Parts: sequence; C-alpha cells; structure tokens
Amino acid sequence: MSLVLVVEDEQHLAEGLRFNLEAEGYQVQVVESGEAALELLMSGSQAFDVVILDVMLPGKNGFTVISELRHAGNFVPTLMLTARGHPQDVLKGFTAGADDYLTKPFDLSILIARIRGLLRRHEWMRASLNHESPAAAPPKPKETFTFGDKSVHFDLLELRVRDQTFPLTLMEANVLRFLIEHQGKPVSRKMMLEEVWGLHEDTDTRAIDNFIVRLRRYIEDDPTRPRHLLTIRGLGYRFVASPPAPG
Amino acid sequence: MVGAGRRKSIAFFIALGAGLISVILLLYIGWVLLNWRSGILLFLGVLLLTMIIGGVVLNTAFLVREIRRNEQHDAFINAVTHELKTPVTAIRLYLETLQTRAVDEAKRKEFYRIMLDESDRLLTTIEQVLRTGRIGAGSRRPGVLPIDLGGVVEECITRARTLNNIRAEALEYHPGPSVTVLGDLDEVRAAIFNLIDNAVKYSGSDIKVSVETANIDGKYVSVRVTDQGAGIPSTELKRIFKRFYRAPGAVATRVKGIGLGLYIVRSVAKRHGGRAWAESQGPGRGSTFVLQLPIAK
Repeated sequence: MSLVLVVEDEQHLAEGLRFNLEAEGYQVQVVESGEAALELLMSGSQAFDVVILDVMLPGKNGFTVISELRHAGNFVPTLMLTARGHPQDVLKGFTAGADDYLTKPFDLSILIARIRGLLRRHEWMRASLNHESPAAAPPKPKETFTFGDKSVHFDLLELRVRDQTFPLTLMEANVLRFLIEHQGKPVSRKMMLEEVWGLHEDTDTRAIDNFIVRLRRYIEDDPTRPRHLLTIRGLGYRFVASPPAPG
Repeated sequence: MVGAGRRKSIAFFIALGAGLISVILLLYIGWVLLNWRSGILLFLGVLLLTMIIGGVVLNTAFLVREIRRNEQHDAFINAVTHELKTPVTAIRLYLETLQTRAVDEAKRKEFYRIMLDESDRLLTTIEQVLRTGRIGAGSRRPGVLPIDLGGVVEECITRARTLNNIRAEALEYHPGPSVTVLGDLDEVRAAIFNLIDNAVKYSGSDIKVSVETANIDGKYVSVRVTDQGAGIPSTELKRIFKRFYRAPGAVATRVKGIGLGLYIVRSVAKRHGGRAWAESQGPGRGSTFVLQLPIAK
C-alpha cells in the first residue's frame, strides 16, 4: 500500500484529501507545517511514496520545504498544491524541485490521476534501478545481500536485522547498494554524489553524511563505533561485510 | 524571494540617495571654499543646494514608500487569493467527494457542516473587501441611526463563540451602563466583531478574551477587548491599523487574514467621530484593543 504524506495547514482540505486518498487505497499521513514535514521526511522513519505539498504554509513555505528536501538528497516524488497559479509561481515550484504542480481549486479526478502518475514513475524508477546492470560494474549484489545477522532486501526496500525490519527509502537503499557494490574499497563522497545522485561536486556533501548516520543506526550494533560502515577521514566511507571480531 | 529582491532595491535607492547627498555636500563645501567672497552668489548657492538636497531626500523617501506599498499590495493580493480560493477548493472537494463516492450518513453530515463553515469564511472575506471599498476615502457619510451598543457587543460575542466553537468562559463580557451611539449599525457591528474575532484568532489554543464596555465622562463609550495572546511590539502598535498590514512573527503568520480587519475598525471609528487604538506590554504578553465612540446626546 503506497504511503502518501499530505502537508496542508487547512484542516478541512487536509481531511478531504485524506478521505479521498484513503478511499483510493492509499495510506495517508497529514502534517500541518513545513517544519513538521521536513522533520518527518528527513528522519526517514517512514518511507513515503508521494508527498502532496501546499505552498502557503505557516513558517517554512512549500518552496523552502521542497528546496531543502532536494538539497538534503531526498527525492521523494512531490506534487505541489497551491492557490498560486501565476506562471512564475509554477516555475518557482519546479525550479525548487517539485515533480508536479496543481493549482487550487482542482478537479479531484485530476489530482488522483496525477498522484497515480507520480507513483507509477516512482515504481518504474525503482524497477529500473533494481534491474539495470552496468557492463563495467564490479560483481553486483543480488536483490538480497546478507552480512552477519543482517540482510538487505533491495527489491522490498527493507533491511532486516535479526527479527526486526526497517523500511528503507529509495535513496537509502541506493546508497547502501553502492557501498556494497564497492565493498572493502574506500568510496569518496564525490563519487557517491555523482554515481548515486547523478549530481556534481558543488552540491553539499553533508547530505551523504546524514544518510550514513541513518544507515548506521540500522546496521550497526553500536552506531557510535561502526564496524560495517567505516569513515575514511577526508575521503568518504568504506563498507565491510565481515569485520574482524572486536578486541 | 520577491521580498528579498525588493529589499535589495530599497537598499539601492537609499544608497543612491545617500551617495548623491554626499556628492552634493562635497561640491558645496568645495564651492564655498573657492568662492567665499561672493556673498550673494553664496546665498543663492546655499538656497539652490538646499533645494536640490531636499528634492533628493524627498525623491528617495517617495521611492521607498512606493516600493513598500507595492510589497504590501502584493502580499494583500496573495492573501486574498488564498482566502478566496481555499474555501472554494474545500467546498468543491467535498461536493465532488459526495458526488463520486459512497459516503455514510455521519460523514455526509460532517461534510455538509464543513462546506457551510467554508462558505461562511468565504462570505466573511468578501464582506471585508466590499466594506473596505465602502468606507474608503471619499465615500458617503455613515447612516445616523441610534444603536444600542451593549446589544451589538452581545450579538458579536455570541457570533464569535459560535463561529469559533468556544466556551462562554473563554470569551467573557463585562457590560457597562447601557448607552446609545449614533451611526451605521452594519459598520459598528463589523468593527466590534473584527476586534473580538482578532482577539480570539491571535490567542492561539488557550483562548482567554474579555470584552468590556465603559462610559467615559458621559461623552464617550469605550469597547475594550483584552486577550492573553501573541501581544504586539510597541513599534507595531500604530502600524497594525494600516490597510493591508499583516503582523509579522511566528504566531501571527499562522493566523489567516487579509490585512483589512483593523483598518476597517479605525476607519469606522473615525467616520463616527471616535477613535481606535491598541495597547500591549509586548510580544507574548497579550493586548488590548479599544474602540471609542461618542455617546448620542
């Protein structure tokens, strides 16, 4: 079941959207401010498939939210929903990183169709990432990679540690996959930005550090003393599947 | 982004003005040093330069004021767009939902209530905009019918309690002696309701508003609306009555509005020979709004 985040401070609108999206079979979560949306999306506690983002929000507005999300390396499909329909507003939304833009008042069936479109594209991207195999790439991990008592299920976007299951966002899975593909070798932040995100070096590399912090929380027994995801000072990171026993 | 761009352009005009004044002063001092013997010319030069400097200062002030006015106008258009489109969007969304989906009876009733609330909100915005046009400069004088002020205040309090779904203790009324004022009932009612509605809206979740009426020297009657809400910095106390003005700050930006409510209050007060003002100890320490109107003889 796809999980949709609705960021809307108008309670009546948010509840109307929730009712309709749930009727379409989606799971829906509503937050009322840009700050709450950013906190929820950056924490990675839930893997949202689509975000419906209002522009005129109290505190951080929708343009700021989407821009900060993209800057931090979160590429969740996002539809901006707003009363502001001037061409310059629409362009501003797309420039900030929105995937789609719909002005209020909207036609319910069009909104649903656009959400379906975004989800479809998300699925296609996920499928293509799971099946593409660059010719020159080193031994590619299978859909499931097991190390110690942990296993990563790339097809399900899940990480299982003993009897616990953590959902992974698409980007978390991609970062982990990239590190696993290069296991044992140091991988630079620049390389990760270019290969995983398709971005160039002028982008803020702290976004990667945030991903690593989150991944360590899942896969390390003691995230403050990592054994699998090691930091290479001044360069980047190295993934070790079977670290030597401690002590 | 647009705001930042405008601030940059304001800074440019201020810098330009200051630069021009410095150049003129330099020229002036140089000229005086070179020509101090020519008395009349000196006098004329001083006069001319003073006029030029005055002109530059006026020009800069005018530009800055125009830019600020434009900014406020844009903010007003955005706020009105939001306040008009949001209720329409909600009503349309619920109508489409009722039309296309199976909705049980309880939900159906809830949806009807929401649509009614939203249509009230739409109507309030439309009335505020139309009223602003009616009471604007050059419009006709208000009607002069006797109004029972206590009755109007009570009516406004009841409406505010119902609309905002609040208990009687949260919005208290302490009536003073019964007085009659002469004026336009619709305008006076709108002004009093705006004050009460503002106090409720800016109180956040813990609403504690009290409304009192008092007779001042037998000449005026005052309606004092006191809240324990967001409060107002002393620099903003006058500005908040300006047309299109919306209070900045974290609490205030969460409150929906179009920046006309207090402008209407002040205009109505003036049109009835009274005045309106705000008192506050500062942000976070609540505020009191007073509407003072002359008592009918």
